[in-house]
Amino acid sequence: MRILLAEDDPMLGDGLRVGLRQLGFQVDWVRDGVAAERELATGDYAAAVLDLGLPLKDGMEVLQTLRGRRVATPVLILTARDGVPDRVRGLDMGADDYVVKPVDLNELGARLRSLVRRAHGQTQDFLYCGAVMLDPSARHVTLNGNPVALSTREFDLLHALMLNAGRVLSREQLEQQLYSWGYEVDSNAIEVHIHHIRRKLFPDVIQTVRGIGYLVPRAPDPS
Amino acid sequence: MMQFRSLQARLLAMSMGLVIAVWVGVAWLTWTTASHDLDELLDGHLAQAAALLVVQQIEPEESDEVADAPSLHRYAPRVAFQVFHEGHLVMRSANAGTVPMSAQPRGFSTERLSDGSQWRVFSTRGAERDVQVYVGEQTASRREILRAVLLGMLLPLMIALPLLALLLWWAVRQGLDPLRQLSEVLGHRRPQALEPVGLDNMPSEMRPMVNALNGLLQRIENMVMTERRFTADAAHELRTPIAAIRAQAQVALGAGADVSQRDHALRYTLAGCDRATRLVEQLLTLARLEAAPSAVASSVVPVNLSGLARGVAADLAPAAMARHQILELEAGVPCWVTGNDVLIGVMVRNLIDNAMRYSPDGAKVLLNVTTEAGQPVLRIEDSGPGMTDSQIARLGERFYRVLGSDQPGSGLGWSIVKRLADAFGAGIQVSRSSLLGGLAVEVRWPLP
Repeated sequence: MRILLAEDDPMLGDGLRVGLRQLGFQVDWVRDGVAAERELATGDYAAAVLDLGLPLKDGMEVLQTLRGRRVATPVLILTARDGVPDRVRGLDMGADDYVVKPVDLNELGARLRSLVRRAHGQTQDFLYCGAVMLDPSARHVTLNGNPVALSTREFDLLHALMLNAGRVLSREQLEQQLYSWGYEVDSNAIEVHIHHIRRKLFPDVIQTVRGIGYLVPRAPDPS
Repeated sequence: MMQFRSLQARLLAMSMGLVIAVWVGVAWLTWTTASHDLDELLDGHLAQAAALLVVQQIEPEESDEVADAPSLHRYAPRVAFQVFHEGHLVMRSANAGTVPMSAQPRGFSTERLSDGSQWRVFSTRGAERDVQVYVGEQTASRREILRAVLLGMLLPLMIALPLLALLLWWAVRQGLDPLRQLSEVLGHRRPQALEPVGLDNMPSEMRPMVNALNGLLQRIENMVMTERRFTADAAHELRTPIAAIRAQAQVALGAGADVSQRDHALRYTLAGCDRATRLVEQLLTLARLEAAPSAVASSVVPVNLSGLARGVAADLAPAAMARHQILELEAGVPCWVTGNDVLIGVMVRNLIDNAMRYSPDGAKVLLNVTTEAGQPVLRIEDSGPGMTDSQIARLGERFYRVLGSDQPGSGLGWSIVKRLADAFGAGIQVSRSSLLGGLAVEVRWPLP
């Protein structure tokens, strides 16, 4: 899951970036409001962690601009401002969550996953596709109840596709969701990962729409 | 003087005391003038009576019998007369004795008779014949008259005084009503209410007091605001370093076998602690400066700026060397400024610290202490990136930090420097260093 982190404090930014990576997120880190706005406008991110006291452009303004442009990326505000009016303003301005510093990394990760899940209209923790169950928080996949070992990339790819079940995602879209900045992505990396996933689960779990992309068919919830 | 706890009691006691004193004075004056006038009047009567008796003795009856005049009035026993012809008592009042009432042949005298009574006696002699006349009056009667006069004056007062006291008590109470209202208003205030007391309908005597009170309230409010802002600022500003420490510590815990990642995180954790400590120190310094600006100026002594700058630079030199920065001091002669040496030290340290912090590794920081036109000047220049005009304009705003600096500063250093310079009456100028290309900060003290 690719996350944009907008935080101007070098020490905290570094900690959050590395910490969220440990939790399996792909993290891009920007340090000012203008960069945050520019990056978020691309829509490549599953969610964003936004500090309010950003240089050049205040986090609240960034949020306002984005929502004005109908960018729906879930945004979690992470700030030192803990007043109730600040919280209310942040949420009213279009934030999806409001967290006051300091925050536990695990909690931050859980909140981000929850934001992404809700953004895709899900109410449950787990994603299902036929006999496949994906647990985003434990980064765990089972087939017919038996655990299947997937690599980080394979998991993220499956997660992205299952989150958008029923929608076709292009290779570029998948690449953007999977890789943070600074990675050299091989042109056939996605195909290789999909091949592995199919092998580990079953071939039809991911369907290829020739010339367009890939999709995981929408399956009714088992419940 | 007796101390009254109550203004009302004090006013009442003072006005009653004054009323009584004036009355006593008036009574005393009345007594003396009345007694004097009475003496004159009655003495005149005595003399008149004596003259009458002398005149009547022109044709004396040759008789050995003493004529006793009858007592015709209840007051008569207090008046007496004697008439002697050639040493013989010829006529007397019923209450007069046979011995001459006075040893004095002429004029007034006051005599005590054998029965103990005191008499005012007028003696006179006939002009042509040997006639000696004494007319006397008991002095006690005079005193009685005076007493009656005085009583007539004092009695109404005796009755009036309690009434007057009651009325005065009421009047004073009415007069002090605004004071009582004010104390009620103040008494019913919530402790947090620091808004000024209204001056409408306030008597002019109370205005200065209420104004002073309002001034005090204003100062307290400012102090409370400063305190609140400090607490809020401190809490907010500490949140970020603490969040960083927490995140880094969690990263270290989650690093597992990745030793380099763990070490990196642990180093950052420690750096975060140092940063939080520094922030706390700066906040406290700033809070002290804001809470008591006068304290800055309180201990003003001559300080050798050159020596002070050398000391601070020596303290910071190891940190500069660790970053391969060159820290140089040009301070030829002692340069004296007045101020608190510790606080000037804080200012110089913040300036050098800023220059080093926001200049890259290997940069040069130059300190210069000189005297220009008699004014002591401290100049700090660096070869760092410098600042744009808009950045310079925002310097000194609390927590303002220049973008893109990787140094985890709090943005408080400048607030401290600015405040201290204000307190010393020193001017600060920030510009681009013509010598090193970075930032040049100039602190100029006023003429000694």
